[in-house]
Amino acid sequence: MPQVLSTKEQSLFRTVVRNYEDKQYKKGVKAADQILRKNPKHGDTLAMKALIMNSQGKTDEAFALAKVALQCDMKSHVCWHVYGLLYRAVKNFEEAIKAYKFALRLEPDSAQIQRDLALLQIQMRDYQGYIVSRRAMLTGRSGMRQSWTALAVAHHLNGDLAEAERVLTAYEDTLKNTPSKTDFENSEAVMYKNSLIAEQGDIERALEHLESAGKHNLDRLAVLELRATYLTQLGRKEEAAKAYSTLLDRNSEYKKYYDGLIEAMEVHLDDLKARKAVYDGYAEKYPRCDAARRLPLDFLHGDEFRDAADKYIHRMLDKGVPSTFANLKHLYSDSFKKETLPSLVQQYIDSDKSSANEEPKRNGDTSKGASAAFYFLAQHYNYYLSRDLDKAMEYIEKAIELEPESVDFHMTKARIWKHNGNTQKASEIMEQARSLDTRDRHINTKAAKYQLRNDESEAAIKTMGLFTRAETVGGPLADLHDMQCVWFLTEDGESYVRQGKIGLALKRFTSIYNIFDVWQEDQFDFHSFSLRKGQIRAYIEMMRWEDHLREHPFYSRAALSAISVYIRMHDVPLLNGANGVGHSDADDAAERKKAAKKARKEAQKAEREAAAKKAEPNKPTSQGSEDTKKKDDDPDGAKLAATTEPMNDAMKFLTPLLQFSPKNIDAQIAGFEVYIRRRKYLLALKCLLAAAALDKEHSKVHEQTVRFKLALDKDSETLPPKSLEVIKSEFTLLAASVDLTKFNDEYLAKYKDCARRALSALKIRKLLNPESSSKCEKDVAAVISLPTTTVEEATEALDLLTSWKSSEIEGLRSKAAAKWPKATIFAAKA
Amino acid sequence: MADPQPPNVVEGATTGDIDEEVPIAAKSAEDRKAAAALSTLDNRDDESSGKDVDQEAVRKAMERLGGAGATNGVVTKKDEQKVVKKAIKVDPADVTLLVEELELTKIKATDLLKAHEGDVEKALRAYIAPAA
Repeated sequence: MPQVLSTKEQSLFRTVVRNYEDKQYKKGVKAADQILRKNPKHGDTLAMKALIMNSQGKTDEAFALAKVALQCDMKSHVCWHVYGLLYRAVKNFEEAIKAYKFALRLEPDSAQIQRDLALLQIQMRDYQGYIVSRRAMLTGRSGMRQSWTALAVAHHLNGDLAEAERVLTAYEDTLKNTPSKTDFENSEAVMYKNSLIAEQGDIERALEHLESAGKHNLDRLAVLELRATYLTQLGRKEEAAKAYSTLLDRNSEYKKYYDGLIEAMEVHLDDLKARKAVYDGYAEKYPRCDAARRLPLDFLHGDEFRDAADKYIHRMLDKGVPSTFANLKHLYSDSFKKETLPSLVQQYIDSDKSSANEEPKRNGDTSKGASAAFYFLAQHYNYYLSRDLDKAMEYIEKAIELEPESVDFHMTKARIWKHNGNTQKASEIMEQARSLDTRDRHINTKAAKYQLRNDESEAAIKTMGLFTRAETVGGPLADLHDMQCVWFLTEDGESYVRQGKIGLALKRFTSIYNIFDVWQEDQFDFHSFSLRKGQIRAYIEMMRWEDHLREHPFYSRAALSAISVYIRMHDVPLLNGANGVGHSDADDAAERKKAAKKARKEAQKAEREAAAKKAEPNKPTSQGSEDTKKKDDDPDGAKLAATTEPMNDAMKFLTPLLQFSPKNIDAQIAGFEVYIRRRKYLLALKCLLAAAALDKEHSKVHEQTVRFKLALDKDSETLPPKSLEVIKSEFTLLAASVDLTKFNDEYLAKYKDCARRALSALKIRKLLNPESSSKCEKDVAAVISLPTTTVEEATEALDLLTSWKSSEIEGLRSKAAAKWPKATIFAAKA
Repeated sequence: MADPQPPNVVEGATTGDIDEEVPIAAKSAEDRKAAAALSTLDNRDDESSGKDVDQEAVRKAMERLGGAGATNGVVTKKDEQKVVKKAIKVDPADVTLLVEELELTKIKATDLLKAHEGDVEKALRAYIAPAA
């Protein structure tokens, strides 16, 4: 039987609640204890105390106490509500929803519980449940626009657009007066309704609504853009053209408006003259406009292109615009344009020289033009489609000679070194560029990135530290985590992979994984916030973005790196598993032990240092101990690296990767590698088939096809007969009777000029026929002599030989060093 | 914060730590207190809610909405259930196979099987086929 409180204690209970609200946790616990002294079994108080304790970070105790509270008072909605809140805090949303639902059954009229439930439901994308909750909430507060909009959103997300619109209309009909023109919430609601109508495909009505209800909308730009779109869709070209020209008068740099205008003017796409004329008109009208001059370069060709490009280049280089190349490089997919642009720049330089001699013109600052032109050419020869690194270096030196203080020029110089494969030099030059402008954040991050590429982790974090918040506990690294600086964490992790510090690498990749979790979690606040602010369109957009969050390349990259680390851990289990060993050249047992010992010593040293650090300055922060973050109990990722089931851990990264980036061939390839090791043949086949569908001739697809066949032949007896049946019938990449050696040789013959594919085929040859290994090794070493081989491919060849412990390593290395004398990776080891 | 305590409740509850014979009114009143207190945990200021709203119209709108919405909801739900539940028999052994081989949850595996008329091989085949 639940206990009942005296008046005094009731007011005390209210104090507890207020203390919780005000985050005065210590006071709250004290007050709760006071009640509990007399009423030790008062469920609500126990529950409140649990809630406060949870806020203090004592999660386990809070859960235990909340359970006690429920035992004391099963029928209290407060207890159930708190129980739900606790689950919610540990992100067990399903249990939280259950608890809320129970609380709501006990107290159907509680708006608070209903609201918490609704928010969780939408977070979990339980649209049906959300509709029910929102309808109930609307009944409670039918006078507020928010409640109606929320229900409309619920229907919208559930895919029922018509019903959503009906709800909005129902609310509008209840209004006595038309809302004022400055009513922002109403303005947004009108635009939201308009988007609902358009999404239903009823453009006619959408336009009508836009022109009546949206006439004086506060979001002028959106109205104009939508109107132009609708008119085009409805085929009212003349009006559409007018709408687009209005938009262009507002913003003449937006490509979409030009496209819209030309479509509306019904200019035929092949009529280049007419298209150009449209742009010319705007170029004349807006002398400072860039887009009108640049965009025609996309579609012009031949002499017309040459003329237009010449004018554009002159204009840009005269002004010394550093981004000229970046503006034009997308044209390089066209080989004519790729040839024309540098020759125009060359002409510019030549003419400039001659004219400069005769009469100093161009407002007297011809130097600007010359250096910009050299800069352009340097970037041209550094670009992957037109690469000639020696020339690039030559031109960048000329540019730097003219402007020795230019950050941009030095930055490009560093990039050229990077493409030469010389990470050390690249890092040095980038650092030099940074020193030219220490207050520029962009160059700062670039310098840090290049340091990471050169595996200077300490220096990089120091560089980053120049721009991080100084007060953050834990230094720059902690701040970079707080600021969710994903690029840094990725580069840092990849650098640790190269250094063989597996634990730290996994630590970084896991951080990125967690950051994505945080982004998922972050939307929670917006379910209520956006409604309150009335920004529904932005909210809907956010919801859709959240649903595809892990499509982001940031995620794919980190996940792929993590998976490859886990795969290597599976294939070559480390002795000590910590940071320090793991690189395959340390394969020697003795060497490995030595490295392990060194790593251990380093770890101990670091620990001592950390302990010493902690001993001193910890005092002042202890005051705010409630706010300090939970201490990381595994700062070096030693626990992550000590895993005994790397393949299971890899699944955490792999599952979202395959779900959200199925068209990424590297994801499918990684998926195969994980599944085949776990003997999940059906899933491995799924990945293989998907990869083959994306690119049948991919080197890894070839490799994996053969390996799948081998694995299947070996393991077919252990497979469930039904699975085996399906695998056999679906695995059509190889004929059942095929001779693998022959198949592989054919592939090799077909792609003998492609280094990467040849490497894959050779790898397979050795796998199929171990006796041939010495010949394989020789052939691998020979791959480097192919004219098209890149530094990356040569590195892969080197890695391959290293993993075979081949005697050809040295030969390959010296050959590569001769071919790429500037690359650090092939330099003889001291 | 919450309203002042109604006088009649005060009398009933002052007896303190006796945990039996609780007047029902007091109990629920106390509960309501707590609810009120809790509901202010994260209270937003609901501005001048709906002074511009015609309450009568709201009521009507609600009725219309409730009626249409409710029936709609029920109908669609029933339809869906009918479609799904079209009595497809699923062999638990097949479900286990899918769970094991494809690492699906039990629910998803069952759905997958049902979507392919309970034919395991068909389900497997469809699952591993590359998306078009």
